Amino acid sequence: MTSRTGAGLLLRQNLTRDRVIVPVWLLVLAALCLVSAAATPGLYDTDADRVRAAQAINDSPAIVALYGPILDVHSIGELSMTKMTVLYAVFGAILFVVLVRRHTRVEEESGRTELVGGTAVGRDAPLAAAVAEAVLVALLLGVLIALANIAGGLDPVGSIAFGLVWLGTGLVATGIAAVCCQLSASARTCAAAAAGVLGALFVLRAAGDAASATWLSSLSPFGWNTQARAWSGTRWWVLLLYPLLAGALVAVAQHLRGRRDVGAGLLAARPGPASGSPRLRDAVSLTLRVQGAALVVWTGAVAVLGLLFGVIAPGLDDLLDSGTAQELIDRLGGEMLAAVLSMIAIVVSCFAISVVSHAGSDETGGRAEVVLATATSRARWLAAALVVALVGSLWLLLVTGVTLWIGYATAGGPSPGDLVTAALGWSPAVWVVVGLAALLLALRGSWAVLGWAWPVLFLTLTIVGELVGFPDWLTGLSPYSHVPAMPAEPWRWAPEVGLTAVAAVLIAGAWLRFRERDIG
Amino acid sequence: MVAEAHDLVKTFGAFRALDGLDLAVGAGEVHGFLGPNGAGKSTTIRILLGLMRASGGEARLFDADPWRDAAALHRRLAYVPGDVSLWPNLSGGETVDLLLRMRGADPRTSRRDELLERFSLDPTKKGRAYSKGNRQKVALVAAFAADAELLILDEPTSGLDPLMEQVFNDCVAEATDRGATVLLSSHILSEVERLADRVTIIREGRTVETGTLAALRHLHRSKVTATVAGSVPDLTVLAGVHDVAVEGPQVTCTVDPDGLAGVLAALTAAGVTALTSTPPSLEELFLDAYRTPAR
Repeated sequence: MTSRTGAGLLLRQNLTRDRVIVPVWLLVLAALCLVSAAATPGLYDTDADRVRAAQAINDSPAIVALYGPILDVHSIGELSMTKMTVLYAVFGAILFVVLVRRHTRVEEESGRTELVGGTAVGRDAPLAAAVAEAVLVALLLGVLIALANIAGGLDPVGSIAFGLVWLGTGLVATGIAAVCCQLSASARTCAAAAAGVLGALFVLRAAGDAASATWLSSLSPFGWNTQARAWSGTRWWVLLLYPLLAGALVAVAQHLRGRRDVGAGLLAARPGPASGSPRLRDAVSLTLRVQGAALVVWTGAVAVLGLLFGVIAPGLDDLLDSGTAQELIDRLGGEMLAAVLSMIAIVVSCFAISVVSHAGSDETGGRAEVVLATATSRARWLAAALVVALVGSLWLLLVTGVTLWIGYATAGGPSPGDLVTAALGWSPAVWVVVGLAALLLALRGSWAVLGWAWPVLFLTLTIVGELVGFPDWLTGLSPYSHVPAMPAEPWRWAPEVGLTAVAAVLIAGAWLRFRERDIG
Repeated sequence: MVAEAHDLVKTFGAFRALDGLDLAVGAGEVHGFLGPNGAGKSTTIRILLGLMRASGGEARLFDADPWRDAAALHRRLAYVPGDVSLWPNLSGGETVDLLLRMRGADPRTSRRDELLERFSLDPTKKGRAYSKGNRQKVALVAAFAADAELLILDEPTSGLDPLMEQVFNDCVAEATDRGATVLLSSHILSEVERLADRVTIIREGRTVETGTLAALRHLHRSKVTATVAGSVPDLTVLAGVHDVAVEGPQVTCTVDPDGLAGVLAALTAAGVTALTSTPPSLEELFLDAYRTPAR
């Protein structure tokens, strides 16, 4: 028996457990690629149109920071894949963090690894199985993306190279996740570490690209996505960097794994206080205590994003003159800052959903039962999660607005407008998503985790809808589509009040269901 | 009655988890709540706590509706679930104090420190680092530390070592000394035998037996072993005699309470030289109740 005995068995088990999440995630990404590949060339009739659009993108530091530059302004493929090259590859990378963490650290935290370790399964088998699964999924993702692009009518060789870029991104994300999952005994801390690394690599690339400092963005694997030049004059050797880095990371993870015990982290668990603070006394303070560290991390993350985009935004006003580019780029909003805000609004929604879905796992884990057997009423228990989700997302949007404004003003932006109001204007849309997530929680505790599907659904609806021209009523199902694209557009009361009312109705409906149903 | 259920029914889809269950827990008693896995003990407790709603019948807690008045009633009780799950990043001490405060008790005036000592529990460890037994101790300390009128304990000792079981028994005794009522669901029959005043045995969602241990014993057969000098009498013809086995001069059988006199007369007539009669242990009551097919 070697230390990896049983990995094959675990791999099959992992694949069975992931039989829904993996296909859904891959198909959504492949569909986005397909639609982008099929629809974009139609928007530009001539090469001159495309060059103008590409140059407009390159002229806007904010867009370049978000999506990366367009290196060959004549390339249809590169223009079609503007969003997919880096930004959506990050969404792909998140899947690998989810998979690796789920089958290594989460299993250890729950004690299942110990159960499995007691059988004829080697110590290194869980990590080996998780990495093997991730590699398989990355291969599948690469093939699907390449096929989607070919089916969309793009150059086959470029499509294959582009698929390889996504494959590589998946491999690197796997390596990062494998290392991060060795760090702490807490699965949440490991997730935060992996998200932090991905975020830092994205920001590194964004800064490098926006400042045209290629060496800086070359330090980030996300920078390689652009610099591999998948669509013309492909630098095939860049594609080798991904497996090399991923292999090194997995080797490091393997080494770290050998230096720690099952269930332990490299960072020693610090003892907690022997007695509880008097402030920790009810459901709301408990939720804040549990979510506090996450909220601090999220606050820091949106502050960095806000400052970054605020600083590079002043250069984007030129872009507004070129009609074609605007049509291409401003798919989520009217104007660049609005586009950045619309993206951050979706990111902030993820914080809110994590709070609501955590309440769901508290219920399935039996912790809700313990709380509800005290003098805590159902109303207070549900309210605790919802208040933290609603107020927390408002807070994060406020931080976004303020840091965006600070960055913008520091960089000498002409008329910053009211960026704080613009940011806060997104909160009713986020609240609607909170209401929808709450509805799932109210139906069944174990369904709360499905709340993650809402932002994915709405984002897909918006992107695909605008590329292929869905009817307004269909794209209008997304709450994000109703928020005025401030600061480019003026504040409007009707959508803000309307969305808030919808959120209130959803939350009221969630409460009516929740107070009637069985717990556990 | 502190807690009672009458003709309680709970269905999950087509499955009837509770099928006309009756339970009555009087003030100041330790009530053993026994039944095999899946019999419906935890479901009953969840209904009594207002976490689940009964599909039929009635549940009362402190003479109030546990579903409607859940939060107010919970100030008067403490609950230890069968499978204790803690917040991974809260320390044991924080969890104990939080649960006490959530019940309206003040940890600083409670017996938490004394109990942490007695259960030898390290309160600075994080929730994820505790073993099953230690998680259970966290919940037990939180339950015993403040003076709840009612303790609802769902298989509370399943993860404890024998030493800690003794501490647990002492805690239950102290609680009843100060007048608390205890509803103790358990698989450990010796524990219930030692602690409980009355027991309710359930099977497949129905109450099979309920009463004081003494009363239940009266209802059940004693095991009689006798050695006779003469020939072994044919006990099988007597009313209320079962499981007769003869081995040389020795005969063993089980006897219903009202058949005992006849058996003794027959044995005396045969010249009994040695006789033992053991009252049924709860274990036998329990197994007996399991074997009885549900109506």
